[in-house]
Amino acid sequence: MIRMIYLVYGILVLAAVGAAEFRGWSLDSMSTVNNVPKSVRDNPGSYRSVYSSYHHYTGGK
Amino acid sequence: MSSVTPPSEGPPKAETKPLNCPHCGAAITLRALGQAVVVVCEGCRSILDAQDPQLKILQTFQKAMASDPPLIPLGSRGKIRGTEYEVIGVQRRSIKVEGIRYLWHEYVLFNPYKGFRYLTEFQGHWNDVVVCKDQPIVDARLSIPLEANYLGEIYQHFQTADANSDFVLGEFPWQVRVGDQARLTDYIHPPRVLSREKTGSEITWSIGEYVYGQDLWNTFHLPGSPPEAMGVYENQPSPVGADVKAIWVVCGAFLICLLALMIGFEMQSKKENVFSVRYHLGSGDPTGEASFVTDVFELSGRTSDVQVTTWSDLQNTWIDVNYALINVDTGRAWDFGREISFYSGYDSDGAWSEGNRTDQVTVPSVPSGRYYLRIEPEVEPLHPPIEYTVELQRDVPVYSFYGIGFLALILPMAAVTWRSFSFERSRWSESDHPPSPIFTSSEDDS
Repeated sequence: MIRMIYLVYGILVLAAVGAAEFRGWSLDSMSTVNNVPKSVRDNPGSYRSVYSSYHHYTGGK
Repeated sequence: MSSVTPPSEGPPKAETKPLNCPHCGAAITLRALGQAVVVVCEGCRSILDAQDPQLKILQTFQKAMASDPPLIPLGSRGKIRGTEYEVIGVQRRSIKVEGIRYLWHEYVLFNPYKGFRYLTEFQGHWNDVVVCKDQPIVDARLSIPLEANYLGEIYQHFQTADANSDFVLGEFPWQVRVGDQARLTDYIHPPRVLSREKTGSEITWSIGEYVYGQDLWNTFHLPGSPPEAMGVYENQPSPVGADVKAIWVVCGAFLICLLALMIGFEMQSKKENVFSVRYHLGSGDPTGEASFVTDVFELSGRTSDVQVTTWSDLQNTWIDVNYALINVDTGRAWDFGREISFYSGYDSDGAWSEGNRTDQVTVPSVPSGRYYLRIEPEVEPLHPPIEYTVELQRDVPVYSFYGIGFLALILPMAAVTWRSFSFERSRWSESDHPPSPIFTSSEDDS
């Protein structure tokens, strides 16, 4: 019984890995934005990045 | 055992004979008439000769069983392996190991065509037992052989102990007496147990198979629930044990498939260099609007990932780059920020460094089309001149998936193996061959 469960589970794991690679999934987090105006190409400053106010590391030892 | 073929319709009915106890006069029903050797009076517990028409008294004893009644009442009927049996006798036996007395019950079952079989019960664990038809093979040179071969199956020695009959009730196919002693040796091959019982010079081998109490309750139509099984019994089948090796084989096959998958995707992925551009930020830049856009580039092929690599030769400073990968035609954008920092120096502990001059990020599932990057670098004020390079690659394998897949395949196996290992340790801890402890305390060491 456990062997059968593991068999199905393993096939699902391999299928998930294969799908992830084939579809080009990623583990990195990012935002998607739809309908970015074409004017951004001429005026890049008009686009507000989600990460613009990101806190920056100012460290060093 | 009879060779008579049972009738096809209905269960066989045992031939019975009503008699009276010569000691107390209580009615006695002989259920296994002609085959029972002794019968125990339910009224006064006298052991009577079942083959004597006058029921000669063989032994009397006063021990009451009120505090420990049989779990399956005498006269109960149920089908075992397709044959209906009747419970005709029960005895309570015990062994003493390291000063502790362990009790169990043995039920005598009878079918007029099939003969006798037995059910044993110890702390909620049940076995269906029959006398061996063939003689098991053991190494006769050893006083206690460590293995026994029965019908080609190897059984491991589990325990040898002296058993005592504490209480008997009903009918028995042998000359049972309260106080009877026998030397019991159990060999196991879960779910079976091979038992050698030596009484005087007589040796009897029996083979038992683990059965679940609830199945017996259903079979004998008993009210309530069977007593809960406590601990791990000697021949109790492991919930995973028999499958562990087979599952590891399956796991190995999956790992090979995973490796093949990795090699396959590694070979077929394009890893296409889309562009690589080096940018320069002079000291104090940017003074105005920091963001800019790249030229439009083409991402071709099926929907796949895009890897963006940023690397810089910066020293003791940081650069944060906000990216937006924007589709020219659909207006869809993937927005992400990356930071590179690298610091190094010397202190009382010597040279140190932290951070990384290179960063990689994978943009998921990007359809083919025309794209450009909006890049917005951010740096600390009064920074030194910084050069940084941005590279884009299309359709790059993500090896982290294989690591996750590997763990996903291995971790359940580790859990199953540990469960099996723990179960077997519990089983053998009650044997004559207990496993050595995994952890020893410092007191033990001293």
